[in-house]
Amino acid sequence: MPATSPAERDELNRLLLRTADADQRAFEELYRRTSSRLFGVCVRLMGDRDEAEEVLQEAFVTVWKRARSFDAKLSSALTWLVTVARNKAIDRLRQRPDLRPVEVDWETLVDEGPGPAHGAESDEDYRNLQACLAELEIQQRRSIREAFFGGATYNELAERAKVPLGTMKSWIRRGLLQLRACLNP
Amino acid sequence: MNSTFESDKDNLRYAEYVLGLLDADARAAVAHEVETSPEAAAAVALWQRHFTPLAMEVTDVAPPAHVWAGIRRRLAFDAAPPSPAAARTGSSIWDSLGLWRWIGVGATAVAACLLVITVTRPLAPPTAAHASVLMVSTIAGDNGVAGWTATMDIDRSELLVVPASPANVATDRNTQLWLIPAGGAPISVGVFPPGDPKRFHLDKDLLDRLGPTAALAVSLEPVGGSPTGQPTGPVIAKGAIRAA
Repeated sequence: MPATSPAERDELNRLLLRTADADQRAFEELYRRTSSRLFGVCVRLMGDRDEAEEVLQEAFVTVWKRARSFDAKLSSALTWLVTVARNKAIDRLRQRPDLRPVEVDWETLVDEGPGPAHGAESDEDYRNLQACLAELEIQQRRSIREAFFGGATYNELAERAKVPLGTMKSWIRRGLLQLRACLNP
Repeated sequence: MNSTFESDKDNLRYAEYVLGLLDADARAAVAHEVETSPEAAAAVALWQRHFTPLAMEVTDVAPPAHVWAGIRRRLAFDAAPPSPAAARTGSSIWDSLGLWRWIGVGATAVAACLLVITVTRPLAPPTAAHASVLMVSTIAGDNGVAGWTATMDIDRSELLVVPASPANVATDRNTQLWLIPAGGAPISVGVFPPGDPKRFHLDKDLLDRLGPTAALAVSLEPVGGSPTGQPTGPVIAKGAIRAA
């Protein structure tokens, strides 16, 4: 998903605020502009297109019904939308453990860095996060990234990494504390 | 006030919630805190702001059209408000005068088209269970003048193209209608007479690509349509697809 320009960010905020006023046209435009991004996130989390379609529908139904709870002071519209979609996807993964696991070979998980294709250089939040993630040990970084993209629990991550549960918790929690210090100086 | 240890623990829990690490019960507990405590809401929002940019790394995937149709259906967008014309006759949206006015076809053209449609196609009885999912497109030239309007009925797998102010087309050329998915190559819907309404049946491949991220276009082609499967002549009109 490409980074958003400040103008696009403002436009999405405006569309979401109009959606909160029950403006169907604005809602449709919001869907037009963001559904591919959100669907990509859902497909990645669910590992199954049919499930991802169901989650995307639930997410946009929630967007329509709960757009009033969007607070432009707390987050951008896109962050809010991605969060709604991720929450729906993760809730569904928790309800349906049979959907899991997407088998991941822990050692071959790509330790991705920002690529030019991401257009990341234009997005300050993303750049900051990458810089702070880069300071973590590789196992911490890998675990946190896999948690974000795969929606896995501590238990599932520990199984995938073939380490005791306590080790996984320690990797992630120490990583999170370090990230917090780095991101909120 | 929480001790530093307690507030660290809470803060970690919020980060774990945002990442998706918690089990169903712990998730529900944090979701409840977010609803009831402004401090929890702010802390969760901060972690979301930190982590959500990672989603930029995920490749965009265009969802199929029936997802949008399903959202509209779940929200009962099409059930209300019914147009007065449809309510009066209880008939399909194809002959809803309100719709045609709304999509901007001149009144004379509407009358002519409705006559043709009514004569050529006995309408199926409407289903009371749910209104059809409809999409419309005003297919206009570069000058902004609507050449045709198209209405797509997802449930019936049909597309109806109706002339508004169609361009004059030489007799050795045909007009061909194309569906252009977001970021994809045009897919032929079919050749149609520029001055008359034409109804197309849409196969699943086309239906899956219909939606507010797709567009329609009309190109000029040799008689019988493009020999290559892609537009070969100039595109004389195009239009975005939107929900009716």
